[in-house]
Amino acid sequence: MNIELSEITRRFGRNVAVDGVTLDVGPGVLGLLGPNGAGKTSLLRMLATILPPSSGNLTLLDRDPTKPADRREIRRRLGYLPQHLGYYPSFTVVEFVEYFALLKEVPPHLVPKAVAAAVEKVDLGPKAKAKLRTLSGGMLRRVGIAQAIVNEPQLLLFDEPTAGLDPEQRVAFRALIRDLGQTATVVVSTHLVEDVGAACSEVALMSDGKVVFRGTPEELIARGEAGQGVGDAPLERGYSAILGAARSTS
Amino acid sequence: MTAPDDVNLDRVWTNVAAEVWRRRPGRAERTATRLLRSPGLARALLTTPSLLGPWLIGSTVVLAIGALVQLGSDQPLVWLIAPAVAAVGIAYAYGPGIDPAWELACSCAVSDRLVLLTRAVVVFAVNAVLGMVASLVTLGTTAGTHTAQLTFGWLIPMTAVCALTLAVAVVVKSAAAGAGAGVAAWLVVVLGRSALASTASTPGPSPVPSASAGLAAAVTDPNLYLPYLAVAACCAAVVYYITRPQRGVQ
Repeated sequence: MNIELSEITRRFGRNVAVDGVTLDVGPGVLGLLGPNGAGKTSLLRMLATILPPSSGNLTLLDRDPTKPADRREIRRRLGYLPQHLGYYPSFTVVEFVEYFALLKEVPPHLVPKAVAAAVEKVDLGPKAKAKLRTLSGGMLRRVGIAQAIVNEPQLLLFDEPTAGLDPEQRVAFRALIRDLGQTATVVVSTHLVEDVGAACSEVALMSDGKVVFRGTPEELIARGEAGQGVGDAPLERGYSAILGAARSTS
Repeated sequence: MTAPDDVNLDRVWTNVAAEVWRRRPGRAERTATRLLRSPGLARALLTTPSLLGPWLIGSTVVLAIGALVQLGSDQPLVWLIAPAVAAVGIAYAYGPGIDPAWELACSCAVSDRLVLLTRAVVVFAVNAVLGMVASLVTLGTTAGTHTAQLTFGWLIPMTAVCALTLAVAVVVKSAAAGAGAGVAAWLVVVLGRSALASTASTPGPSPVPSASAGLAAAVTDPNLYLPYLAVAACCAAVVYYITRPQRGVQ
């Protein structure tokens, strides 16, 4: 398993953002669904080793992120796209992706090819030398995806990756993460259920800091058909049925 | 004309793109890479906001104005300005809200603590050089001063002010708070010591005669050097503790 969470909790003062989550994830694409404030971003930041858990055990890529040497190894094999991508406006696309390749300790002689491959994968070749301040929101999102995959990570964490992408780019991105999921563990946090249906082999649904459903997209659809879910699409009905049930029991 | 079947055109194109897009590091980056033995850390150093051209020009202008005023009067402005300029530079070297890609950088293998400390040390060194030049330019404007004391004496208070600024910025996670605390503390020391100097009639020759003696006392009084060093050591310990690799459970 590339991700092993055991009773992970994260508190911010009195607020419990993540509440006793236990989750094992192997290679493939896991969609992390849930409404705003469900704890998806906090969970993802813990997986990105940025935020330490308040309690519980976390193992990533068979290593313990609380140990500095292990954490460094994990980070070399980690790709992360935060919800709000910060960038240096004066950097070009290539400079930005290269910067993160160096920070991820990709061997310097491999950096130019790794950068070129990542930029091509997100279809930004024609904009490779463009300054980031000249790019649209969707293009910046793709730059973010390029820096996340530049080190050929074994663990990829995307927080709302399709926000700002146009429909054509979203389709291309889904194909990309399906491809990445062949060899790596990809966790995609989103509130867009269509992303999950198209790209994820598994789904975890969070509500109030807890994982209230774990299964395949087909199982999520089945819950919607059996329950009281509302929505235009089968996945949306499954989503709302599970959330409704979770809220009524809490 | 078509390519032979055993030629992977994508790979060929990636190699071509890697060569075309390859960035040639400048002399400063090559030197930093050699000294720091880490291309990532060197690149992170060269993206320090308070080491970029506009910031350095601003610092130079402020010190130059201080030097000009000092040359035209007996006010020891350079010695009083230099610690404050350095402190603000240190506060704006690294951190959330200062470095646009701070969150991403925190998920990378190159330690964010190392980035912070490297940037802080280099910003301090650059400001020390700027202050020293300004101090040398104004040497002799105040009769009766000890050359070594007034050329290097302000380095000790500057160390304390910078350490305090860094400690506050790291604890509060705010560059503005750090800079404010450092500059405010320095003002309190300068004005407090000045008030003491004007009320007390100290026997023996004063290093700086005339009205500026009070203001310069915060820099020229050797009795303050030990407290400055103690403050610097305590603040360095705070920074060391706060930025320690987190063990996971908070």
